Amino acid sequence: MALMVTVSLPLLAALLCWIKPFRAFAWVLTVVCLTLSFALAIFTASRVLADGIVIGIARWFEADGLSVLVILLVSFVCGLAAIFAGGYMHHGSQQTTRLWWFYCNYNLLAFALIIVPAFASPNLVWVGVELITLFAILLVGFENTPTALEAAWKYAILTLMGAPISLLGFFVLYWAYHISGGGTVETWRGLYAAASTMPPNLLKFSFLLVFVGFGAKVGLAPMHTWLPDAHSQAPTPICAVLSGIKTSVPLYAILRLLSVILASPEARIGNWMVVIGLFSVGIAAFLLFQVRDYKRMFAYSTVEHMGIILTAAGFATRGGESGAVAQLMNHSITKSLCFYTAGAVLVVLGTRQIREVRGLFRLSPFAGGALLLCSLAIAGAPPFPIFLSEFSILSAGLRSGHNAAVIVLAILIVLAFIAIFLQINRMLFGNPEPASTRVPLPASVKTAILIAAAPVVVLGVYIPGPVHSLMTLAAQQLGGH
Amino acid sequence: MVRTILYNLVQLLFVLGFAPLYSGVLSRFKEIVQSKRGPSILQPYRDLWKLFHKDEVVSSETTWIFRFTPFLVFIVPLFVASLIPVLTDYPLAFAFMGDMLAGGFFLGLGGFFAALAAVDTGNPYGPMGASRTRMVGFLAEPVFMIVFFTVSFVAQSTIPYIVQQKWVASPAAFFSPAHILLLIAFLMLILAEGGRIPVDNPTGHFELAMIDESKGLEFSGRGAALMKWGGQMKFLVLTCIFLNVLLAPWGLATDVQPGHVLLAIPLILLKILLFTIVLVIIESSLAKLRLFRISEFLGAAFIISVAAMIASIFSASAA
Amino acid sequence: MASAQTQLIEGLNALDAGLILLTAFGMVATRQVQGVMRFFIVQSIFLAISAFLIGFNRGSIHLIALGVITIGAKAIAIPLVLKRTLPNDLYERREINQVINIPSSLLLALLLAIAAEFLVGPLVSVSTDPVVHVNLPIGLAGILIGAYSLVARREAIPQLVGILAMENGAFFAGVAIASDLPLIAEFAIAIDVILIAVVIGVLTRDITRTVGTTEAATMSELKEEPYEWR
Repeated sequence: MALMVTVSLPLLAALLCWIKPFRAFAWVLTVVCLTLSFALAIFTASRVLADGIVIGIARWFEADGLSVLVILLVSFVCGLAAIFAGGYMHHGSQQTTRLWWFYCNYNLLAFALIIVPAFASPNLVWVGVELITLFAILLVGFENTPTALEAAWKYAILTLMGAPISLLGFFVLYWAYHISGGGTVETWRGLYAAASTMPPNLLKFSFLLVFVGFGAKVGLAPMHTWLPDAHSQAPTPICAVLSGIKTSVPLYAILRLLSVILASPEARIGNWMVVIGLFSVGIAAFLLFQVRDYKRMFAYSTVEHMGIILTAAGFATRGGESGAVAQLMNHSITKSLCFYTAGAVLVVLGTRQIREVRGLFRLSPFAGGALLLCSLAIAGAPPFPIFLSEFSILSAGLRSGHNAAVIVLAILIVLAFIAIFLQINRMLFGNPEPASTRVPLPASVKTAILIAAAPVVVLGVYIPGPVHSLMTLAAQQLGGH
Repeated sequence: MVRTILYNLVQLLFVLGFAPLYSGVLSRFKEIVQSKRGPSILQPYRDLWKLFHKDEVVSSETTWIFRFTPFLVFIVPLFVASLIPVLTDYPLAFAFMGDMLAGGFFLGLGGFFAALAAVDTGNPYGPMGASRTRMVGFLAEPVFMIVFFTVSFVAQSTIPYIVQQKWVASPAAFFSPAHILLLIAFLMLILAEGGRIPVDNPTGHFELAMIDESKGLEFSGRGAALMKWGGQMKFLVLTCIFLNVLLAPWGLATDVQPGHVLLAIPLILLKILLFTIVLVIIESSLAKLRLFRISEFLGAAFIISVAAMIASIFSASAA
Repeated sequence: MASAQTQLIEGLNALDAGLILLTAFGMVATRQVQGVMRFFIVQSIFLAISAFLIGFNRGSIHLIALGVITIGAKAIAIPLVLKRTLPNDLYERREINQVINIPSSLLLALLLAIAAEFLVGPLVSVSTDPVVHVNLPIGLAGILIGAYSLVARREAIPQLVGILAMENGAFFAGVAIASDLPLIAEFAIAIDVILIAVVIGVLTRDITRTVGTTEAATMSELKEEPYEWR
């Protein structure tokens, strides 16, 4: 029950925002509903920790450890981004009369994001992921400027192209399940059980199709080209959602399917995942040196992190799996903080160009401090959580004998670290241009940054017991145990 | 044996006799669709009659090729007609004289000499038409080849009669993705080879735009009649291959009873009539393509035929 | 041995498959926006026919419902919605700008069809159902050819039709291999397809209003340029 309410609260919020008398309070409604949703997600997580699984509607809506972890992250990021949007959108958007429409759409996006991990049936997961893409397209083009629309168009074409491909993949998966004697309603759990009897060729083919289709949505290289465009042109709260969690949700589906494939003894594709993951990390690491726009910089960093998660999952050991889960979580919370900070910088200075930002510390100590914190965290400096998860991934790779991969990965992570810091350095220090005007930060932006920074700081040094056991549970499920 | 030779002759007479009627019906239908009042469907016969009674003028600059070509163009379709199933379901006396490739080469020979004769006259339009026909021809030939090979791959034979029997005997081979693709590719070929819209306009009177017609401009009297008749027979023969071998291999005489063979004549005429309607619809709804778009048209036919080949190979290996 | 009726229906489905492939080629070959749209509508009708045939053969109500949904959504609703949301001049464009000329495009489409046959050749052997042998390769070929036209075409509507044609391909394979998918999943998928059309339609309208054209070639503001380190 709690699961169903968690899932449907954003939908309710979207409906309310659409009704005319409530349009003026769209922001309040959104924040309230999403916060409630987050609270209920915590409750659901506690139930999962107690029972192992929570069932909303049997065989349709079920949440195990991995699902509930993703649900938690989605509701956390979406809720915070909604708070952030309050000050930011009223201040920075040209489309103030259409804000109710923005919130309506935003809630639909949150609904689609939160429902994907709650689905028990892979076919419905496809529907959910496509819904995410559709709502995100409209939000990316929200500002209606030529560049925003161009970004939305590229995003739409590249990611929707994947839709039919992954659809065929899910059809083939269903077919394989059916051949192996499964019933008419397939669930993730049923798939694990049937994995060893399904024809391995079909499994591999289906995974290939789903991987190509969803990989484009995750932003894995070479299908990443839409990602920096969309993430730089969308309104900043949307960027936080897109980068922080929207890329992770299709990746969640890929990882789920990957664990089914790995459960089949004849379908060994872990090493391919390592290679593809490393390719993404490499592309992103080198492109990070070239960016001129700080929002694009954080977008490429997302490509890098997606690659790292895929590599870790490809190790196919318990260490790799727990590393992947930790990285997934840390990426979400850190990357959304990065975009809140980027949004704050944008509000203060009104430019997205790195070269036009000088001496941010002097212009706005708050934004500068937050930018320093979040870039240290996202680049993987100790003692932040991403450092821990990347470190555990590297050591898991060494333990499972992927020595070459670990060396390459380590070099690329260091490169990305250097690239980010070369860029950030230019923004933070130096003397500000005398003519630059400074705009005070809205309270909601500050609040969102402060709340978002808390877990980033805390989780690096202390992981609370329940969080730890939830991560362990999720890692187990990722391994199909 | 005597009977099969006899039936073969009946078949030739059928092609000889009904080819002008076919073209008459085709143009009449087209005129009806275009709300015109055209001549009667017997007009092609009258044209031939008129031409045979006219004096023939041959330029003194031409060689033997020019005089020889009308006979060749006239004979070749008859030759092919003896190889294909026109009226009967079983092979006739000359059926094994040559296969589909041989038929294709014979038709190609006629076309080759027609082109030579056109160059021979020195008329500026003749070589232009000849070179255009050759362009269409060499683009069409690979499609012919692939269609034939695909058909023979399915039927394990290149003899048209046997192919036709294979389709009748096994509906599974008839109903396959390859089959419909073959049909479309061959239909496009008929349009190109027969000089129909959208490749060429058979009723056009503007020499610069002509493809097929301009080759015959210099012929007169008997020569013109033979060229015309030969062209009509070629189109009928191609139609018969399309209808009897590929599209609807039913309705032919299945035994040696003379009555059944004669009964097959109205049936095949009915099939041709239906096909004529389809052809008229195609011709009336499309515009003639620009010359350099013809290569795209035939390229599409080629693609379709290769797709048919691939599909048939894979369905054969799967079955 | 299957009954004669079953065989006939399988045969008709096979002919239908050929026509689907043909319409896919047609979409690559045609130069006019409306031509692309018409080929797409015809292809959707063929897809629905295939769903009806297989549904009849297997006694599956789902597939017949799917066929009805397909005709309603793809042959009627989507063209209507696009016509409503988009200005007319988008529709009447005759010569579509594209990267690779049409004969080469057709050759590439052919290669893709061959590749599809080779890819699924080893896979279909797990089933003895002739319908699977026909539909899976041609469905995959439809997806690949649609993807190609999406990449090669430089205009909004042909690109959208490319996506929808890919969807047709996926469904064409799907009706054969996943015919007893739960109806709700099928329904959700169908709704999703309509939403794709609506969203792209709205986006295209916004783009034409703001930018003035929907030629994707003109949209190249956003790219990475070498950074000058000072």
